[in-house]
Amino acid sequence: MQLTGLLWGSKLLKYVDFPCAEVLGPEASVDEIKALIAKHGEVFIKPIFKGGVGKKGKSGLIGRAKNIETALKEKERLYFVEHTDGIHRVKADGVTFEGGVPAKYEVYFSITESTVYRTSTMTITHHGGVDIEELPKDLIKVVPFDPLTGLKSYHIANALEDLKAPAEIISPLVQNLPKLWDLYNNYGMITLELNPIRMMPLPNGRLLPVACDFKCAFDIDDPSWKRLGLPPHLFASDYSEFEQEINKLRTYQGQSDVFVINEKGTITAFTFGGGANALVTELLGDLATISSDFGGNPPYDKMHQIAKIVLKYWLDQTNVLFIIGGKANNTDIFETFRAIADALREYFNTHGPRPIFVVIGRGGPNLIRGMAYMRDTLDALGVPYKMFGHDSAMSEVVNYAKKINDWMEREGRELIKAKLLGTPEAAL
Amino acid sequence: MHKQGVPDFPYYVGIKSLAEVATREDRVCVLNILGTESSTVTPISHEFSGGNVVFGTSPGRSGKVLETKLGPIPVYNSVREGIEAGHKFNTAVIYLPPAAVKDGVAEVVRWNPDLKKIVIITEKVSVKDSRTIRAICQTNGVDVFGANCLGVADSWNRVRIGGALGGSRPQESLVKGSIAIYSNSGNFTTTIAVYLLTKGWGTTTCISSGKDVYIHFGPREFFYALDNDDRSKGAVLYIEPGGYYEYGLKINKPTVACVVGRWKAKLTKACGHAGSLAGSGDDAAAKERWFMEYFEVDGIYTPENPIYSKKGAVVTNIAHIPEALTKVMEANGIEPDFEPRGDLSLKCWFSNTQGIPLPEELDLPVVEAIPPYNEQIAIVNRQVGAQFPRQSMKNASGASMMDPKTQVTKLHNVSILDATKYPFESNLVFSLVKEHPDEYKRGLANIAFNAFVNMHGDPALLAADAAREAENSPNTVITSAVSILGKGRVKGAIEAISTLLELFQYKKIQDIAGPFDYDEILREVKEEDKEKLLTSERDEIAERMLKAMDRLEGDSVFIRLCRDIAEREDKYLKADTLLAAIWLTLGWWSLMHKKISKATLISLPWYSRLFSTVVGASVPSSKHTPTSFCGIDLDELMTWSFTETAFFALIGRKPTPEELFEFQVLLALIISNGPGTISAQGAKGAVSADGPENPARVQINKAFAGFLTHTGYAHGGNGYEAIEFLLEIFKDKGLKDPGSPDHGLDLKKIATDYATWYLDYKKKQKEIGNIEYKKIPCVGHPVFKGKDVNVDPREEFVSKLLKERGSYNIFLDFYHNLVRALFETGVTRNVFCVNVDAVIAVILLKAVWNLYRDGKLTEKDIESAAFTTFLFGRMIGCAAEIDDHTNRGRDMDMRTPASECTFVG
Repeated sequence: MQLTGLLWGSKLLKYVDFPCAEVLGPEASVDEIKALIAKHGEVFIKPIFKGGVGKKGKSGLIGRAKNIETALKEKERLYFVEHTDGIHRVKADGVTFEGGVPAKYEVYFSITESTVYRTSTMTITHHGGVDIEELPKDLIKVVPFDPLTGLKSYHIANALEDLKAPAEIISPLVQNLPKLWDLYNNYGMITLELNPIRMMPLPNGRLLPVACDFKCAFDIDDPSWKRLGLPPHLFASDYSEFEQEINKLRTYQGQSDVFVINEKGTITAFTFGGGANALVTELLGDLATISSDFGGNPPYDKMHQIAKIVLKYWLDQTNVLFIIGGKANNTDIFETFRAIADALREYFNTHGPRPIFVVIGRGGPNLIRGMAYMRDTLDALGVPYKMFGHDSAMSEVVNYAKKINDWMEREGRELIKAKLLGTPEAAL
Repeated sequence: MHKQGVPDFPYYVGIKSLAEVATREDRVCVLNILGTESSTVTPISHEFSGGNVVFGTSPGRSGKVLETKLGPIPVYNSVREGIEAGHKFNTAVIYLPPAAVKDGVAEVVRWNPDLKKIVIITEKVSVKDSRTIRAICQTNGVDVFGANCLGVADSWNRVRIGGALGGSRPQESLVKGSIAIYSNSGNFTTTIAVYLLTKGWGTTTCISSGKDVYIHFGPREFFYALDNDDRSKGAVLYIEPGGYYEYGLKINKPTVACVVGRWKAKLTKACGHAGSLAGSGDDAAAKERWFMEYFEVDGIYTPENPIYSKKGAVVTNIAHIPEALTKVMEANGIEPDFEPRGDLSLKCWFSNTQGIPLPEELDLPVVEAIPPYNEQIAIVNRQVGAQFPRQSMKNASGASMMDPKTQVTKLHNVSILDATKYPFESNLVFSLVKEHPDEYKRGLANIAFNAFVNMHGDPALLAADAAREAENSPNTVITSAVSILGKGRVKGAIEAISTLLELFQYKKIQDIAGPFDYDEILREVKEEDKEKLLTSERDEIAERMLKAMDRLEGDSVFIRLCRDIAEREDKYLKADTLLAAIWLTLGWWSLMHKKISKATLISLPWYSRLFSTVVGASVPSSKHTPTSFCGIDLDELMTWSFTETAFFALIGRKPTPEELFEFQVLLALIISNGPGTISAQGAKGAVSADGPENPARVQINKAFAGFLTHTGYAHGGNGYEAIEFLLEIFKDKGLKDPGSPDHGLDLKKIATDYATWYLDYKKKQKEIGNIEYKKIPCVGHPVFKGKDVNVDPREEFVSKLLKERGSYNIFLDFYHNLVRALFETGVTRNVFCVNVDAVIAVILLKAVWNLYRDGKLTEKDIESAAFTTFLFGRMIGCAAEIDDHTNRGRDMDMRTPASECTFVG
């Protein structure tokens, strides 16, 4: 759950009275843009991306205009621009117009959680406006601090002093940056980054730190972000329709983590346990439709709901329905298998049979009762299967599922289809 | 600010040695002890650890206890209350919901100055709360394990604290040895411990660290404590991407690190473990590199390319851990702790390819599972037949389903269109056993049905006659007969099939035609069983059946056994016994593959007799004699298919092969229209009223009566409307052979004349305000409409099928001309479809045309035949509904709540 850009960032910064560049959204009229140019001398046109977009600093994604013609031309160029960062591609949906902020200094500032210090940390440099990774380490100051007391003015003063920052920027930053801890700490953030903060001279000669870009990420397990009243569509692009539907079932009892791996995958795995998730995701690669973790002893109802949703989205294209986990410690195998089996039976009853092969590798409490229930259901549905106990290496079971998938692609799918649909040829 | 612990760390760490992580001296307080998960897990931990839980908390439940085999654990409202009651503890286990975890930590730290360790089991604790928890515990000198972990365990001390490491049988996984485990995955902590056993390695301390963003007891602390633990000679780590916890470690004992999650670099959000999402420099590849540097190796260990050093090895697959560890330990001169236990090869415990040929290398055989699972499997394998969950079956069916788009109904997932390819008797068998019989079994089914179709002297036949004479409709006539065929009339057959099932049910016979040594069974047969199967008197029907069976090519172990018993005892087989043996043969595969329940199998002979009765009673008693049915010698009848018998009963003559096929198609098309049809509702209502939760109480003949009485002149009898319409058109046309395309009639002209007349008729009726004017039957459909030329796909399917067989039907041809003429004359806005009901009418009319033309059949006879045909076909679907509702339904589940009923007076 990430937010980037000033359109919504400016609204969040207002909660803590942190100065921000003036910004207009994609709906801004020509007159409004003209007025913004007149007021600030120039505007920056930036595409609006929903969710996280990775680094985009040097991607030519910022337009700059001192007149309305250029501003509109840049708007046209950037409105639906596509940006690729690594393997992730995102498409813009609109642009913002941000008033230029004249400044001599640009500051980078972020708060995040550090696994090195195992506490919250502030990162600051007065050489901002560039990707932080590109700066030499001695130009950056990382400061861990006690989350019980929070980020204090002295953390900032000391850091800037260590960095030998110009004296004129220290006082304004010391006054304003601690406000960002309130935003970070009170609204469920796990990352907050302002880059650049431009130090704008005021008529009285003092400098005012003005946020000219915004990036933050929220903790999905912390409901505090809901206090901000952000519209849910802001995060919609982070989650597919399938993921959103599963996420509605997200409670602390029983995991329901899913991630769409390949919309054209052919192995759909119900994975139990975070470790199994890592291993199975690794070994299946692009063959998988989804990566999942349904461990944590989900009760029947929750597992049944999850299974229904998974089957609804993926069964049609699935060759191998795969149920995989280690030797469960506390997940009741009978309850989880019963829930999946019932969902499968309901799917067949509603949508008709599908040519699938079921592969299972599992251990844990009530294992045999669970396997027997699944066996009876699959027998009744006419679905072929192989089930392995926890004394078979999990990775070998995954490899077996892959081999079955190959066979399904070659001929298995057609053979099972003929059998399940009960054609006379198949019956002979 | 942190309290001073072990001096080697810049933050608080209290644990010096792994031996201190989980000891027999630790005393535990469990927060939210009565929660769903804790109340299952805590008693097992408590018992395994010799009773280490002193009390638990659950606000508002003070005074309650959590029962364990070692005695009850007291429960208090709060930690303060427990301490005030005199309990002392040094370890807290937290099972609270995520939002309450931070407060729980604060509570237990605030009230217990002796606190040294906290284990947090809860998942989805927010990052904010985690950092606060760390700050509180650092300030107060408390070690934290988790959150989102399964706790810690010590195989030497036989202690586990917190979650369910080792599941419900911790002793199976936590076997004393020399290896310490540290794992980001709770499940893998145990799984790795089990895997290590396969190479003879046991464990010392096992730590499930959790894999949230915050890991409070990290690898650095683990390795420090490992060095100070003399019991641990080596270690295994399971590590996922995300975080710098493994960076800059000092590893002094042989170690295998399993790093999994390279693929996770492609994820843009956490899935599985919350902290398992890497940034730029802490992905799986980076972590592999860190460990390779520690161990001074230049690659990943795999069985094919075993790269390791004395210091350790890096693997990326947990299955490679035992082998890699053994190699590393060997390099250090350290032998395994004990003989290897088991192995990690693929061991299939349950398998069924459903008869689909799988390549040899994939078709792994089922092997005996390790104890105690082998015994459990043996027990579940003794369970015979399917068990269906019970639910309200009102307006629901596990047998039939109509696709609202295609309007094609499926019975047991086979569409009625596909069912047209099977003879009547095959579909009757299929309705109950859910598999179409092969040729031999079809022969047996014909014998079973034909053996009882002659009802000479049967009071059921007299009842039917009486009903017929009273001018009842065909369904009412047949209802009278089936009502007589109560359970008492089929008791012998039901007892016989129960006896045979009892003898064979655990024998797992896959090929009933193959060789099977039943000597043991013969010895098991008790005297009372023999009485149920045999008779001292000759049984005429049985002898007729046996003779017919001898003509079939095939074999059944059940029939063979019955004959053997009779021979050994020098007695005769009862017809009921043979009926039972036939149906056991027909239902065996489905029973063994759990497609049907035992209750269904035992009821099959009853259904069989009812099928025979429906056909038999459709013919008046005058046609049943001691030696013949409808004039056919009973011995000869046993060589007929039941489709032929049914045709003969209706039309009074043997069908030609073409007629036989058309009749088969006709019956299949009528099988079902889903559970909502009135006939199905009648059948289901009758089952529901008997109380299916006790299936033995369901009167199947009464359920047939329910189906039959829920047909009538509007439902089932309405098929005659189309016949009446066609008779009106064709009666004066001199049609000789409706099956010949050379009929010499100008169908287009006949259709156009009719359409022109109809246009005028319709106009006039509208003018006089009659909106109830005559509609043309079987033209148009509420779903298949709106296109320029509309087609009912069911009619199209059958027309094509008949055409492929070279079968012509003038009436169907006329219908196709008619829909076009209706459009061309302006009666309809587009070309309406000929619907599937027309197919039913035209096939029947073609069959009876010559008899009608010759005056041997009246219009009334044809109407009766049309209605009876419907009953024959529909009994296939209704038998399936009756059996389905009996197996799945609840008592009285067809009732409509009063709140949903309306009063319209």
